[in-house]
Amino acid sequence: MRINVVLLLVLIASSLYLVRVSYESRRLFADLDKAQSEERALDNDSERLKTELRSQATPLRVERTARERLAMRAATPAVTTYVELPAAASAPAARTTP
Amino acid sequence: MNHGFAKKNAAKARPAASVRSLNYSTSPLLAAPTPPWRSKLLVALVGLGFALLLGRAVYVQIVDAAFFLKQGEIRYAHTIELPANRGRIVDRNGLILAASVPAPSIWAIPKDLEGDAASRARLATLLGMTSAALESRLNDNPNFVWLRRQVDDPVAKAVRELGIKGIHEVREYKRKYPEGEAAAHVVGFTNVEERGQEGVELAFEKELAGKDGTRRVIKDRLGRVVEDVGDSVAPLAGEDIGLAIDSKVQFFAYQRIRDAVAANKAKAGSVVVLDAQTGEVLALANYPSYAPSDRRNLSGAQLRNRALTDTFEPGSTMKPFIAAWALETGRVTPQTVIQTAPGRMTLTGSTITDSHPHGNLTVTEVIQKSSNVGAVKMAMTFTPREMWELYSAVGFGQKPQLGFPGVVTGRLRPYKSWRPIEQATMSYGYGLSASLFQIAHAYTVFAHDGELIPVTLTRPIGGAPSTPVSGIRVLSPKTASTVRDMLHLVTLPGGTAPKAQVLGYSVGGKSGTAYKQEGASYATKKYRAWFVGMAPIAHPRIIVAVMVDEPSAGKYFGGDVAAPVFSEVVQQTLRMMGVQPDLDVKPQIVSHEIPAEEESF
Repeated sequence: MRINVVLLLVLIASSLYLVRVSYESRRLFADLDKAQSEERALDNDSERLKTELRSQATPLRVERTARERLAMRAATPAVTTYVELPAAASAPAARTTP
Repeated sequence: MNHGFAKKNAAKARPAASVRSLNYSTSPLLAAPTPPWRSKLLVALVGLGFALLLGRAVYVQIVDAAFFLKQGEIRYAHTIELPANRGRIVDRNGLILAASVPAPSIWAIPKDLEGDAASRARLATLLGMTSAALESRLNDNPNFVWLRRQVDDPVAKAVRELGIKGIHEVREYKRKYPEGEAAAHVVGFTNVEERGQEGVELAFEKELAGKDGTRRVIKDRLGRVVEDVGDSVAPLAGEDIGLAIDSKVQFFAYQRIRDAVAANKAKAGSVVVLDAQTGEVLALANYPSYAPSDRRNLSGAQLRNRALTDTFEPGSTMKPFIAAWALETGRVTPQTVIQTAPGRMTLTGSTITDSHPHGNLTVTEVIQKSSNVGAVKMAMTFTPREMWELYSAVGFGQKPQLGFPGVVTGRLRPYKSWRPIEQATMSYGYGLSASLFQIAHAYTVFAHDGELIPVTLTRPIGGAPSTPVSGIRVLSPKTASTVRDMLHLVTLPGGTAPKAQVLGYSVGGKSGTAYKQEGASYATKKYRAWFVGMAPIAHPRIIVAVMVDEPSAGKYFGGDVAAPVFSEVVQQTLRMMGVQPDLDVKPQIVSHEIPAEEESF
């Protein structure tokens, strides 16, 4: 008789705990889901911003800005000095030829 | 007080005693006997009620359980579509040419729509329409109308903040093309459902399109996802496609051809830039072009990728092939003299003429001065089959293996049906047709030491630097090099295209000019001018082909109209590729020796 009462109490306690745990798991799952969709939204945003960055840096814009605001000109061989690579940089190649 | 209370109670009790004396059982109303069937009926009704409930329970739980389970699930379980991202298209340096960005579409249920006139007016301005247009849109259908497809994210956010009931949005994606019209013909575009319609978007549709995933979940009262049920299918994002195009070269080529078309009052123009060592397409630009972001532009002739889809008779650009084959087979040497006087020759009743009579020309000079008679005299020593095989070997009459939509084959008739006059005209490029791209591709034979290399439009993303490829050998390296020297002379004084010269780099190429064919005959005042060449001439790195359609500002020779574009494109492309000049350039930076003032001591 007494053991039954104890078991009943244990059962009630365990049921209440189950209710609590399943509530908690749902809450956590909802949080996880929210975080995941946030991640997706941030991914999308980053992709959008990358694309926007790129459209702000197209050759057309860069060239116009360089020409108009910075007064630059396209380089031609006439205004370019070509420098030979220093010997150190091509050392492995140089070593084979005595 | 206490006494009064008791008295009152006593007074009250007295009539009560008389009530208690009343005998209810003697009431005539209650005396009527209850018939026994009544109580039985009541019990039977209650029993029937229970039986009905039980029957219903059995029906719901056992007989039609599946239906009710399904109905229940519909109310709490939801299938969420997980849209897959379409892959990006990037150029050889990883710069984005096309990418998908979220662009929500706004829709409304007009019969649910609330909001005062002011907020509706705000909505109309946000969506870029007039209030009247918005109202008429809303009157179309009381249940569902699109207000605007694919607006920008910030606009959607502003609409959300207006908080008008009855306005909803659905997630959609939109393609963005940062390079805009410069690369439009290569990259192509998609429709509103993100399916490729043109260009690379269409050619690589299968790779670019991802696979949408789904997920089945249980949602609670507040619409939060609380549990996953069943299997979820993860979305499979589309692959990124890397192109061999260099967006800087592409832009520059586009800009130059656009300016040239405007300056020559021409109808259209195209530029093709090929890497002569790897066969990669570095640029493929056409004018007129279109901005792929605006759907109103997506129709008409401007969509044509003229470099690939328009064929024309390649004209003088074929002469180097004839000279090369004559050299290869030992029929001539570069110094062999060919008599071209008096600038015309008659063959089976038809006359072939040069623009100026030249007299005696060496084979080199025939190419340099572009003499039709000289080319015909060399070509008539070939058998038709030999010549057909040469032309097919360099890709004429064959579709370039680009995997690109709309690439044309051009026209090269079978040699068995050639009449002698046709063989003669074909030697200087009439009677067959090719696209500008085919001509540029054919010139890889000269640029790549006699091999026709395969062309490619794509390049693995982040792949190792491309290595030179080998192709099908058509000519010996020695012949190719000899022809390159001839092509170099074309751009020197005495040639047809000195304007093709590039500061710092040696170039070689061949100009072409032709009357445009209209129907069965040639139009008299309509020309097409083009130039195909390579640089640096000793070890070509790039092949550039330029075509200008109907130049009508006075100049119409390939050497005058197309060669300057070639020169500018070569200059910029080689500089961007870091190719060192092979010609001595007189530097414009000069440091003067200024005599120093003598110090007094």
